Amino acid sequence: MTLSTITKHLQTIGCVFPDIALLQPADPFLDTTGEDLRRRIFITQENSGALLCLRPEFTVPVCVAHLRNGNGSARYGYGGSVFRQRDDDSSEFVQAGFEDFGEADKNAADINCVKTALDVLQAVGASSSMLVLGNQSIFLDLLQALDVPAAWRKKLIRSFGDPTRLAETLALISSNEEDQVELPSKILSALKSSDGAQLTEELQRLMREDGLPLSAGRTPSAIAERLMEQHQLQSIRLGEEKREVLETYLKLEGPLERAAEALADFAERSGIDLASGVSTLEALIEGVSDLSPDARFKANFGRRLDYYTGLVFEIYRDGLEKPLIGGGRYDRLLTLLGAEKEIPAVGFAIWVDRLEVNA
Amino acid sequence: MTLSLAIPSKGRLKEKAVALFDAAGFTLQLPEDARSYQGSLSGLSNGSAVDILFLSASEIARELVSGSVHAGITGEDLARETTPNADEHLEFSLKLGFGHADVVIAVPNAWYDVNTMADLDDIAAEFRSRHGRRLRIATKYWNLTQGHFADHGIALYRIVESLGATEAAPAAGQADAIVDITSTGSTLRANGLKILSDGVILKSEANLMTSRNADFDASQQESMLEICDALGQVVSKA
Repeated sequence: MTLSTITKHLQTIGCVFPDIALLQPADPFLDTTGEDLRRRIFITQENSGALLCLRPEFTVPVCVAHLRNGNGSARYGYGGSVFRQRDDDSSEFVQAGFEDFGEADKNAADINCVKTALDVLQAVGASSSMLVLGNQSIFLDLLQALDVPAAWRKKLIRSFGDPTRLAETLALISSNEEDQVELPSKILSALKSSDGAQLTEELQRLMREDGLPLSAGRTPSAIAERLMEQHQLQSIRLGEEKREVLETYLKLEGPLERAAEALADFAERSGIDLASGVSTLEALIEGVSDLSPDARFKANFGRRLDYYTGLVFEIYRDGLEKPLIGGGRYDRLLTLLGAEKEIPAVGFAIWVDRLEVNA
Repeated sequence: MTLSLAIPSKGRLKEKAVALFDAAGFTLQLPEDARSYQGSLSGLSNGSAVDILFLSASEIARELVSGSVHAGITGEDLARETTPNADEHLEFSLKLGFGHADVVIAVPNAWYDVNTMADLDDIAAEFRSRHGRRLRIATKYWNLTQGHFADHGIALYRIVESLGATEAAPAAGQADAIVDITSTGSTLRANGLKILSDGVILKSEANLMTSRNADFDASQQESMLEICDALGQVVSKA
């Protein structure tokens, strides 16, 4: 009942519903989310050896369908059973959702996506709910404004969304403990003179000596590049001051209505420019705070999946620990699945079973 | 009822296990028929006999988990690999001091920039954009690998199943790094590989394990305690 109300609503607003088979090739899921997913899905094998899995979610197959049908812009809807290994709950459950691909005005698409999620909840009569939002791209802006070296930026962004890991990463790049790793003298001298060509040549020689293929995996030049990067980073540490700024930012949390103001205050106190983040939040406030008066912004809220790039949001019902809806922007997902250039993508998934509990 | 105890059916693990029971003063009756897999152990002070089952080392953990044997001797690596949440099903009662093998993560020597799991995380994150595919790890230890990588927050890699000569996979271009067992490290060195400083997943050796899923009556419990004590004394003297 709930599912048909949701799909009807999504159809009314013009979403296309692609056919998504129950049995899916497993590789696109494992490639995008990583090996760890294998433990959480149901995998089986074809006689040919190809890996198949029971549909663990819809977004990846919807992306694949989108890429098969050309790749303009489109809005999709979906709904049906998905399957995951869960100890505490049934392994088969129902998800529905919305995807918006190819909309160049990302702020507008973000707002539309959150609005659509709230509308769906209203359509099924789950009105008293709380919206929580975060945005990884503001954190990235902050790292850039603080002139954090690129290699550390990547590390920090990877930990973003997991407070414990992020704290560990911050500690790692602030600590004065140097890892003394012994390097062969020729490598060391090439590093000290920043001689990339000599370094690559020496690595090539060593790899040949060890019988390692020079082109099947990491190439000598890729190793040389990272060695030089690491060598440069060895002499610098993230200063106390910048660390404090980052930690203060990560603690920002409060009503969405006042989030733009709070971010602007923070930027001013820290002496940095976060104007684009402030205007992103202003647009969001204008677009959704009327619809969801309890909306909150949490600076440290993110997802640790490398294809998420900006907005993330979750909608909770009072008294329920797990969200009814989870969504966000994943501009890198379609390129991971084979798109030649970046296709902006934002969407959400609804845990239909949770809507039906205590509905 | 008799207590049942499984020990490996061949190889050094079997030899060492048999020698251990001998040193502990028990009499181990090997199967009379070479095709049979059942023997018995006597010499317990309560006069009971113990059924000895000769099984393949990797099967022993499975039998313990199902509760169809009471106790067994096998490598901790095999037990933990084949049993998710091993400690819920198995009690690792006694380390036996033989069958030492570390399950480790090894990468090519030439990766001078990769010495820790944190380095490997950096590499894994960029592998796809640099090389067009995910980082590949060859191993037959799926579960141990997934667990250790998850503990270090690394998700972006793929496992390539390896059924033998795992250490040769990087040279053959089948994988970028490996998870395998090593006792001295010489095979790894011979293949141009090095162990990450925090890349020891498990320091394994043969263990006397007790099933948490099998039923023990009073006499079985008594026998079990006596065996554990007697083996423990031999091991602590060694």
